[in-house]
Amino acid sequence: MNIIETKNLTKTYGDFTAVSHLNLHIRKGSVYGFLGPNGAGKSTTMKMFLGLTRPTQGSFRIDGKTYPSDRVSILKEVGSFIEAPAFYGNLTGEENLDIIRRILGLPKSSVRDALELVGLSQSRKRLAKKYSLGMKQRLGLAGALIGRPPILILDEPTNGLDPAGIHEIRTLIKSLPRQFDCTVLVSSHLLSEVELMADDIGILNHGRLLFEGTMDDLKSSAHDAGFPTDNLEETFLAMIDEDNRKRGGRA
Amino acid sequence: MILNLEIKKLKRTGYLPAFLGGALLASAFPLANMLFRPETFTAMPGNPFDILMDANWQMMAMLNTLVSICGACMMYHTEYADHGAQKMDVLPIHAGSTFLGKSVIAAFMLAMVTAVEVLILAGCALHWFPDYRPDTAELLKNILGSILFQWTASLPTVVLMLVIASACKNMWVSLGTGVILVFTLFIFPQDNVVLSLFPFSSPYQTLATAAENDRIFLFLGVCAAEILVFGVLELIYQKLRRCVE
Repeated sequence: MNIIETKNLTKTYGDFTAVSHLNLHIRKGSVYGFLGPNGAGKSTTMKMFLGLTRPTQGSFRIDGKTYPSDRVSILKEVGSFIEAPAFYGNLTGEENLDIIRRILGLPKSSVRDALELVGLSQSRKRLAKKYSLGMKQRLGLAGALIGRPPILILDEPTNGLDPAGIHEIRTLIKSLPRQFDCTVLVSSHLLSEVELMADDIGILNHGRLLFEGTMDDLKSSAHDAGFPTDNLEETFLAMIDEDNRKRGGRA
Repeated sequence: MILNLEIKKLKRTGYLPAFLGGALLASAFPLANMLFRPETFTAMPGNPFDILMDANWQMMAMLNTLVSICGACMMYHTEYADHGAQKMDVLPIHAGSTFLGKSVIAAFMLAMVTAVEVLILAGCALHWFPDYRPDTAELLKNILGSILFQWTASLPTVVLMLVIASACKNMWVSLGTGVILVFTLFIFPQDNVVLSLFPFSSPYQTLATAAENDRIFLFLGVCAAEILVFGVLELIYQKLRRCVE
């Protein structure tokens, strides 16, 4: 069963098309890796899911609910982390999470839970603006994970983390569907990372979906198309190159 | 709940001290006037409270407006500096509730500042005008009437400033816009009824002048309408923002 589905989802800014007729199918309880070069439309798609930007055309359903009529009830079910950590620098990590907790109507213990989950318990009383980049990233993740929402939308969640932090967060994301029965949509530039944690992947280039399916589907499809299949990075680069060549040819 | 959250967000921003400082600075103005040149005012005919109001309110209102501008900028700077506003946008709350919460806080702070200032003016009148001995009811009527009128006349400015600050991610842009508006509209002649009704111009009106021209209810009505219009404008802006972002 698909928990997130889009139908010809399109977003244009003037004559620039950021997302073009996107048809995504994200299975409930899976980790869906969203791949694409810079400007491919990953963040724009995620922003549309969260109501941060309005689709120009097409529609999407999240857990059977549609935007914009069910915006608030969609947001109740979705924990998110978009582009950069978002917080109030004048408040401590704990106070930041307490604001989110109050809005979501969660018990006080959920703040402690979220802080423990991302390893920020020791620094909970420090002002968020004094956090290191990695700590800010963790605070942003804690804000998404608080209350253990059934759907998580994470845009580049490991940006700014050291290798140990990346490994820790990757392991956490991978364990989330099993631990909390949730679905994760995660975008990343680190292809090897997506390969290690995603059940399904979607590859986006210039707003168009080039591929959607499991890792095995990708390998067989890449093999059929004559692309290298040794690792995801090579397959990904070959697919993007091919698409860019076709687009260039058309232009 | 949203009001509690908005108060919490202002922690460690210096918002409350800024308003207290503004109130003290504005209150020091009539005190200094009476300390250093009392004869200028005590020799004037009329109600001492109105004399002091007419003599000092222009400067006091300008200080109040400047503090309110700084307050609006501080409020939205905390939202935009570390993308806190973006987090609020993806939480299940109504788009206008943050603005409403901030408006209520700003209105409350303005009421507090206005009350302090009017009380100081009343204190000066009682202290420096020996013949001014109104009965308690009259004094209370004067004080409460002035607080309510001056507060209402300044509210559209405060709400408009919050609309401006909410639209500008860079605090310096909203601060600059506010300061430019203060000095541009300050030069509007206060005897022109239409011009004096504009935000950034209306705070300079006093209750006594409005009563003299029989414009009290006109001012209160227009200010209430302006507040409503700016509130609706903010809601429209919030909706439009999602279409273009």
